[in-house]
Amino acid sequence: MSGLVWLCKRETLRVSKLWTQTVLAPVISSILFILVFGLSLGGRIQGVSDVDYEIFIVPGLITMGMVQAAYANNASSIFQARFDRYIHDVLSAPMRPWQITLGYTVGGIFRALAIGVSLLVLSVLLVDVPIERPFALVAAVSLGLVLFSALGVVAGIYAEVWDHTTFIANIVILPLAFVGGVFYSVEVLPSPWEELSHFNPVFYLVNAVRFGFLGESDVSVWLSLGVTAALALPVYAWSQWLFTTGKRLKD
Amino acid sequence: MFREHPALLLENLSKQYDDGTVALEGFDLEIPAGAFFGLLGPNGAGKTTLISAVCNLLRISDGEISVFGHPHDSMEARRSIGLAEQDINLDRFLTARETLIYHGGYFGMDDLEARADEMIEAFGLQSKRDVRAPKLSGGQRRRLLLARALMHRPRLVILDEPTAGVDFELRTELWRYIRRLHAEGTTILLTTHYLEEAEELCDEIALIRGGRLIARDTADGLRDHFAVDRLQDVYVKAMAS
Repeated sequence: MSGLVWLCKRETLRVSKLWTQTVLAPVISSILFILVFGLSLGGRIQGVSDVDYEIFIVPGLITMGMVQAAYANNASSIFQARFDRYIHDVLSAPMRPWQITLGYTVGGIFRALAIGVSLLVLSVLLVDVPIERPFALVAAVSLGLVLFSALGVVAGIYAEVWDHTTFIANIVILPLAFVGGVFYSVEVLPSPWEELSHFNPVFYLVNAVRFGFLGESDVSVWLSLGVTAALALPVYAWSQWLFTTGKRLKD
Repeated sequence: MFREHPALLLENLSKQYDDGTVALEGFDLEIPAGAFFGLLGPNGAGKTTLISAVCNLLRISDGEISVFGHPHDSMEARRSIGLAEQDINLDRFLTARETLIYHGGYFGMDDLEARADEMIEAFGLQSKRDVRAPKLSGGQRRRLLLARALMHRPRLVILDEPTAGVDFELRTELWRYIRRLHAEGTTILLTTHYLEEAEELCDEIALIRGGRLIARDTADGLRDHFAVDRLQDVYVKAMAS
């Protein structure tokens, strides 16, 4: 287990050493959304389901900040380790594939939690956001972070150039987060956009987290948690399979 | 009667890359424990492929590899091997001391800090212990690479062209350290392009070309076998044959 502990330490050390890039920048970016869209424009926007708009957007913004960080952290960490070939130090060490998978996944989770907790504290101070269902919140965040951390591991292993990792972040995750109900309830969308939103996996994660904070969401929390789990498990298994077989890593 | 397992045993080892290139073909090799063994061959001969296969950095197509009697992918075998690769592959986020400590951690060591300090001193990196790898000079990085390979006290040390591109002083210093290591009982597998280096250091030398073993003997034995006076001539004849 020692190898796993040290790989986890290494991945969290990387986040700590680069904290201005890995934590501060995304926190500032998300807080700006709360300040601009919530506090500045929020007064002119009608609340959603009797929830003030500046509070309504907080769960989605925290989710968006966390999943982007979880993905980006692991994709960049693994891609750099492959590119500079210092991943060989880990691949040749007496560690089992499951330990390597878990060790790399932890880095993304650590960074995402650092961002999430910072945003939560600031949100409580700025808009007094409640936490109505803490267990649902913990479950939603856990599943979401496993999903996007593992996705980052997979992307970092498959990427041939740096652009491949940023492509997924900018062209897939960010748009899905924006249209996943971060800034609005999908119930206000006209058909077919409301129906189409239900094919967006980030929609379910945002709703599960929103349920944890506000106690209400567009769809059943069980459905949201189920969909997120149904995605998280195979993606994590995919990252584990890559380390077990050496596919793309030992070709 | 008890017979010690060879440090490295390759049986019918083959590696074909996805693009069809055959890097190793039916390769057999046995390196006894305690040997100082040289592997010589031109670029593309299969030396680095062989090393990568032994160190679990490459999926082999066929064959068996065992290290001190253990399958090469077992935890026991992995713990027994120390690798210094040809290219500098140091973690850019870690200082020299952290590089050693984290490596030791990956290999399950207990006395991490004391051993890291010992290696820092042995390789003359005291003034650079808290400097990150990208800010070290080429020679310092090469020394750190070797220190990392030796950090977990491996029984088999694999050095892939450790003196490529280094100046005379550092080469001599590395030779001195590697010799001392061998004298303490560590098995060394060295690949090099420098024939004088192989002759100076190695008990036995294997010549490989096109993924196949061409010849294997002591430097004197190779000269006798090829009926020449110099190892350079052995090399030229072997590669031309």
